[in-house]
Amino acid sequence: MSGQRVDVKVVMLGKEYVGKTSLVERYVHNRFLVGPYQNTIGAAFVAKVMSVGGRTVTLGIWDTAGSERYEAMSRIYYRGARAAIVCYDLTDSSSFQRAKFWVTELQNFEENCRIYLCGTKSDLLEEDRKKRGIDFHDVQDYADEIKAELFETSSKTGQSVDELFQKVAEDYVQLMAFQVMTEGEGVDLSQKNSTYFYSCCHH
Amino acid sequence: MAADVHKKKGWEVPNGSLVPTDGQPMERSESPTPGLVQGTEPGAGQEGGMFVHTRSYEDLTSPEDGDVASRSPEEGRGDQADQTSMAHISKDFSELSTQLTGMALDLEEEMRLSQENEMDLSPQTARRDSARSEKEDEDVTMEAWRMHQKHVFVLSEAGKPVYSRYGSEEALSSTMGVMMALVSFLEAEKNAIRSIHADGYKVVFVRRSPLVLVAMARTRQSEQEIAHELLYIYYQILSLVTWTQLNHIFQQKQNYDLRRLLAGSERITDNLLDLMARDPSFLMGAARSLPMAAGLRDTVSTCLQQAKAKSLVFSILLSRNQLVSLVRRKDQFLHPIDLHLLFNLISSSSSFREGEAWTPICLPKFNSSGFFHAHISYLEQDLCLLLVSTDREDFFTISDCKHRFQERLRKRGVSHALLEALRTPFYSVSQVGIPDLRHFIYKSKSSGLFTSPEIEAPYVSEEEKQRLLELYQYLHSRAHNSSRPLKNIYFTGPSENLLAWVTSAFELYMCYSPLGTKAAAVSAVNKLMKWIRREEDRLFILTPQTY
Repeated sequence: MSGQRVDVKVVMLGKEYVGKTSLVERYVHNRFLVGPYQNTIGAAFVAKVMSVGGRTVTLGIWDTAGSERYEAMSRIYYRGARAAIVCYDLTDSSSFQRAKFWVTELQNFEENCRIYLCGTKSDLLEEDRKKRGIDFHDVQDYADEIKAELFETSSKTGQSVDELFQKVAEDYVQLMAFQVMTEGEGVDLSQKNSTYFYSCCHH
Repeated sequence: MAADVHKKKGWEVPNGSLVPTDGQPMERSESPTPGLVQGTEPGAGQEGGMFVHTRSYEDLTSPEDGDVASRSPEEGRGDQADQTSMAHISKDFSELSTQLTGMALDLEEEMRLSQENEMDLSPQTARRDSARSEKEDEDVTMEAWRMHQKHVFVLSEAGKPVYSRYGSEEALSSTMGVMMALVSFLEAEKNAIRSIHADGYKVVFVRRSPLVLVAMARTRQSEQEIAHELLYIYYQILSLVTWTQLNHIFQQKQNYDLRRLLAGSERITDNLLDLMARDPSFLMGAARSLPMAAGLRDTVSTCLQQAKAKSLVFSILLSRNQLVSLVRRKDQFLHPIDLHLLFNLISSSSSFREGEAWTPICLPKFNSSGFFHAHISYLEQDLCLLLVSTDREDFFTISDCKHRFQERLRKRGVSHALLEALRTPFYSVSQVGIPDLRHFIYKSKSSGLFTSPEIEAPYVSEEEKQRLLELYQYLHSRAHNSSRPLKNIYFTGPSENLLAWVTSAFELYMCYSPLGTKAAAVSAVNKLMKWIRREEDRLFILTPQTY
């Protein structure tokens, strides 16, 4: 699968046990595996082809391990990433603190990486609203402050998962379109020049 | 249970007639069968092996590895010169033993006290545990916890818990404190605690600064073997953090809580302990190769060899802890312990089954100071490809190697045949044609590989399989006893007879029905050896490849 070209490098970051792998699993295979928790070892790579407005975009998703052990390594996984999905567990405030850490990392080392904040396990809140570990508005304010998109997903029910990745791909396509436009202008200028010289020689 | 042990002097030939292999001590180069020098036994590879030459079990356990400098002085064992001081120590031990059992009782008291404190554990602890398997959540106050066959504890020299096989480390912190106290108590006297034997239990201590590993076992394993397993746990920890990092951390902060760094690895360590209890690979210090036609294996190996990259050191193809093929860089050999750790890593997690994993891993026997990067992916249900690279930036290059390998397999038209071979990973002992033979393990020392048939009736239940392995463990421990090693063992048990034969070239363990005679068993050895010789190109990897 990965022999193909990857358009967008997406990296999943966040504290262990927030459900990064489950999120990828739901998105890529549309399933939710029930069973004992399996922590990711190192990082896993998976490529997914999707279509945005008739264009195909290949997301290369790096699902990283949340364990502190791999923290020093993490830069190799997020280097050059165009999008980072920073996950936190909606029911665990400490995981949000950890998300903030990753945001700071990204701001320091990967300016061009767009950040998508993702609160996971939203199905748990549906069972019991009191389980919410951190106020929604606080998170919203933080997301605005760092210019990040905010999603609340459930890998168990599938809620907002596709929307999240769709948004990542759309943003990429938009950015590309914008870049082509600006690059296009540059090309236009030079073309004008060459046309000028061309016409000059011709006449 | 009587162990009938005999050494047949007649089998031995004078040293002079044999070429000592690889600078082994002369006493080991004595081969009972002239002509079966290491390298010529059935299963020996044609161009040398794939592994670091671990001539024997003693080599695996002897503390001659790179971390020698770090070892505390009291561990300078293994030197012949120390023999006398060892005798001294064991004498000291016998004098100490009563005192120690006394302390062991205190330990239980302490444990009971700690349980009362357990109630006010922080919610944070509870959360942490929720992320771990149920096994870890066990209540250490329960009788069931005490009844486990083998407990394993890892602690730092500051007495901080690092790992416990059963129950949460927090609940056991005072117990571990006592363990450290025992270690320090003897150390103060310029001595070292090795084990405590009491009430059917063996408590074995292994000190690898900055860690202390303790096992509390009711199994029939020897102290040496339990210590060997503890070393595996130590290497397992190194494979995650490297020896350099481990030491650096504890130099910076003596009371560091290593669990922070090891979070999420408990499952790997648990799996290693379970695997050691049922897979003879660890006992043999060798890898089991998947039986397959030699032509097929050679083609697969060639495909693997051709899918190379500059940073690749090892390409390993495996199926359920059995080796299909291993290609290595010239001059670089893998150590069986490192291979076992890799096998364990792969079998301990289902997270490798999707996508492609890229993970840092230290191979402590190869180089305990740095990380390799392993690309792990499943090609088929039970076929796992492991590519070990030196460059952490090389993911896409290595990933491309995988695709090239798969492409080559397809082009050569062997994919299907390979899958067929995976479907029959074992053979029946009846193929050998020895009526009374129930099971055997044969290890070729020069290739570092062993072969073994499927375990069949009467060893059907898990308990019976376990029991058979324990019998092999027992024979193995007798054969490799450091003070009195044996070459030939014939063991008569109530349910089976066993024979062990250890030479400089191979190790053979056979299990017979209890009705056979010793004479018949001994004469069957020849027949089995001939059979293995005839089948060796299928059972072993005779032509290992290099890039």
